[in-house]
Amino acid sequence: MSAAAPARRIAVTGLGAVTPVGTGKEEVWANLLAGRLGFAPVASFDTKAFNVHLGAEVQGFSPSAYVRSLDPTRLGRASQLAIAAARLALADAGLAEEPREPGGPLEPGEPLGVGEVAAALAGVAMGTTSGEPREVERFDDRYLAGELDAVGAEFMTLYPCHMIAAHVGRELGFAGINTMIPAACAAGNYALAHAVDVLRAGRAELMLAGGADAFSRITYAGFARLGAIAPERCQPFDRRRKGMIPGEGAAVLVLEPLDAARRRGARIYAEVAGYGLSCDAHHMTAAHPEGDGAVRAMSRALADAGVAPEQVSYISAHGTGTPTNDRLEAIAVGRVFGAGTRVPISSIKSMLGHTMGAASAIEAAVCALAVATDEIPPTMGLEDPENDFDYVPNEARRLRVEVAMNNAYAFGGNNASTIFRKCELS
Amino acid sequence: MQHQTERGPRGPAPGAAGRRRVVVTGAGVVSPLGDSPAALHRALAAGASARKPIELFETGGIGCHEAGEIRPFDPQAYVGERNLRPLDRTSRLLVVAAQLALADSGWAAAGQPRPAGNPEAAAAEVGLVVGTTFCSVRTIAEFDRRALRLGPSHASPLDFANSVINAAAGQAAIWHGLRGVNSTLAGGEASGLQAIAQAAELVRTSRADAVLAGGAEELCFESFLGYYRAGRLCGSLDRGAAERPVPFDARRNGFSLSEGAALLMLEDASAAAARGAAVRAEVLGWGAAFAAASGEAGMADAVARAVRLALADAGAAPAEIGCLSASASGSLPVDRAEARGVAAALGERAAELPVTAIKAMLGEGLGVSAAWQAVDLVETIGDGVLPGIAGLEQLEPGLPLPLPETAPSATRRLEPAARRRALVTAVGADGHCAALVLGAP
Repeated sequence: MSAAAPARRIAVTGLGAVTPVGTGKEEVWANLLAGRLGFAPVASFDTKAFNVHLGAEVQGFSPSAYVRSLDPTRLGRASQLAIAAARLALADAGLAEEPREPGGPLEPGEPLGVGEVAAALAGVAMGTTSGEPREVERFDDRYLAGELDAVGAEFMTLYPCHMIAAHVGRELGFAGINTMIPAACAAGNYALAHAVDVLRAGRAELMLAGGADAFSRITYAGFARLGAIAPERCQPFDRRRKGMIPGEGAAVLVLEPLDAARRRGARIYAEVAGYGLSCDAHHMTAAHPEGDGAVRAMSRALADAGVAPEQVSYISAHGTGTPTNDRLEAIAVGRVFGAGTRVPISSIKSMLGHTMGAASAIEAAVCALAVATDEIPPTMGLEDPENDFDYVPNEARRLRVEVAMNNAYAFGGNNASTIFRKCELS
Repeated sequence: MQHQTERGPRGPAPGAAGRRRVVVTGAGVVSPLGDSPAALHRALAAGASARKPIELFETGGIGCHEAGEIRPFDPQAYVGERNLRPLDRTSRLLVVAAQLALADSGWAAAGQPRPAGNPEAAAAEVGLVVGTTFCSVRTIAEFDRRALRLGPSHASPLDFANSVINAAAGQAAIWHGLRGVNSTLAGGEASGLQAIAQAAELVRTSRADAVLAGGAEELCFESFLGYYRAGRLCGSLDRGAAERPVPFDARRNGFSLSEGAALLMLEDASAAAARGAAVRAEVLGWGAAFAAASGEAGMADAVARAVRLALADAGAAPAEIGCLSASASGSLPVDRAEARGVAAALGERAAELPVTAIKAMLGEGLGVSAAWQAVDLVETIGDGVLPGIAGLEQLEPGLPLPLPETAPSATRRLEPAARRRALVTAVGADGHCAALVLGAP
C-alpha cells in the first residue's frame, strides 16, 4: 500500500435480503440461526427431464410490495428481487422513514432523506451470475416454437444484466455511480469491493451494494449436467456431500463513510475493513488444485484490512457442498490460517442453497450480522466432517465476533474475500 | 452535503505525493476496421465504414442485413495453434486483444508475463478488467436451446462454463496467465469506460501495478434481432428508409451494430518507468453518473455530471480540454442528450471543441465501444489526427456542438496544445454515463 492519507473507513448501516428462508433481515437471520432449510421441489419449471428436483426458490414473493416508482410487471425477476432487497436495506438504515409516494424518482440535487446525502452522491453496485436469465429463456422458447415474430422490444429492455443495477437506481432515484458486476458466484463480494473503492475515493457518499439472481433453468441444467446438484440435501464439508442446490435471491448492504454514519447516529453493524480479489487463471469451472487463487484473495483482504489471520473470529465459507469446492477451500483456508486452525467456519449454503450472484451478498450481510450480534449461523447437515476444522455443525453459536471474513469463488477463476470488523462506539 | 451535486477530488493533485499516476503503455485492438491501434486510426481518419452484409448468421425475417462483422477473423493468426475450442467468439476476440496489448506494451506475450527488472514480481501480476453487455448471449441461448431440444443430459458443459458473463475475462486470464485482479463490468455502451475507470482506480490506489482494461462484444443473432425489435438499429423503426447510423446527423435513425475487443495496458507510472516502458498517454481522471430519471433531460444531466466529475478528478478546467471522442452512435435520443450534457459541463469551451464520434465508422460495439474510443484517442494524442464523423451532412439543428457547417465529416489535424488533454464520453442508453480524461505523456 502507498503512504497516502489514511483511507476513509466504510460502515455497513443497513441490510436487506430476500432469500429462500425468508425476507428481511430479522426473518432471514432468525431462520439461519435456527437452521431452517430453504429447499423444495422446483416450482418455476418442470424438472421431470432431470434426475434431480430440489431447488431453493424464494417463496411467495410479491414485487408490488416493494416496487413503487417503476411498474413491477415490467421488470425481470432479478430486478424485482434486487429492488426489494434495496428498499429493505434502506429502511433498515433509517434512510426511508418517509417513503416517497409512487411517481418519479429523485432529482440529482435532492436529498435522499434522513441522511441528507444528495441523490447524485448515492450509487449502486450490484453483482449477478446470470442477470435476467428468464428473458433469454423466453426468447429461446419462441425460437424453438418458430415464434420469433413474438419477440418484442422487451428482450433488450429487460435482459441485459446491467438492468438490475439500473432498475435499482431508477426505482430509488440514486443518480450517482451505477455499476453492474457480473462476476458469477463471487459477484456480491465484487460489488461490495467496488462500492468500498468508490466510497474511499470520495466518488459517492452512500452506496447500495449487493447481488441478485433469479432461479433459472439454464443454471439448473448446467449444474445438473456437471453432476453438481445434490439430490436430497446440501451438506457442505461432509464426507458424504453430494453437491450444491441452486437457489435464488438478493441482498443489499447500505455502505457509507463511518464518520458520516456516526454523525447521523446510524446503527453500525460493522466496518468493511478490506477486500482482496484474485484470479486463478487455471480453469473455467474448477478451482486451482492447491487453492492458489483463494489464498491470494484471502491474503490480500487480510493485508488490506490490516488484520492477522489469528484475529479472524469467523469465516463465512463459499461452501457450496460440491466435493471439489469444499476440498479445495479447506486446503486454501489451511494454507492461510494454519492446518490446525480452530477459527469457526460455516456455510449458510447448507440452508439457502447456492443463490449464485446473490450468495456472497447474503453471506456478507450475515458476516455483518455476526459481527454486530456475536452469533454465527451453523453449517447444517454436517455429520461426518471431512477436515478437522470447526465447521459450526448444525447449531448456531454465540461467541465474540471481532472480525469476520467472507469468501466467494466463481466460474472464471474469480475469487473475492471481504472482511468485516466490529465497530465499537468511539 | 445537501443539494451538492458534485465533488472535487479528495486526494492531492495528479502527480503530487501520495497519489499514484496511471499511464497507458500500450493497447490491443480487434475491430472490423483494423487489428492494431495504428491501423484502426488510419481507417477512422480515412472515414472507412465497418458495415458489410452479415455472414455470421441468417438475417432473413429481419429488416436489417448489415453490421460491423469482423471478417475474416482468424484467432490462430494471432495466438498460434493452441486449442481454441473451449472459447466462444467473445472470448476469442478478447484473448486476441489481450495478446496484442501485452505485446504492444512490452510484456511477455503469454505464460506468466513479468516485467523485466521488477524486483516485486509477485505484486506485479497483471490484472484484467473487461466491459461487456452480454459476454455471449449466443452461447447462453445455444446452451439453453440444446438442453431443451435434446434433454438436459445432452447440455454442453463447455457452453455452460462460458454462459457466465465473466467467462471471457476468465478465459483470457487462463490463456495468458493473468493472475491479478480480474473483473467484468456491464453498463451497456458505457461498459468499456467503466472498466478502464475501475482498472485505473485499482492502479491509483496501489491494488495493482498493471491492469489490462477495455471491453469485448461479439455480433450475434440474438442481440441483432433484439436491437432490431427494440427499434434501435438504424432503419428498424422507419422501415424502408435509408439506414443512417450517423452520429448527430439530423436524419440519423439508429445505430449499426458492431463487434470486437480492445484493451489498454494501464500501469503505475513509476513501475512503467522502472521497466523502461514507452508511455503513450496518462489517465488523468474519470467520473461516472446515472440517469435515474428517464428521458432526455435526465440523460443530459447524468452526462454533464460524469464529465464534471472526470474533469475535477483530473484537475483539469474545461478550457484545457482539447478534443472530445463522443459516444454518439446515431441513436435518436441518446446523441442529443450527450451533446447537451457535454455542452452543459464544458460551458463556453463546448462552442469550439473539436469533436469526433468514431461510431460513425465503427458502429456500436456496446461493451467494446468506449475502449475503442479510448484507444483511438491515445492515437490522436500521439499524432494530432482527429477522425471526422463520416456521413455527417446535416447536423441536427439546435445541437450545442461546434461541428463546422461545411464538411462536418472531415478529419482534422489538431494543434499540439489541443492534444494535451482529451475527453472520452460513454453514454449507455439505459442511463449509465462515464467520462475519462486522457493526457499527453
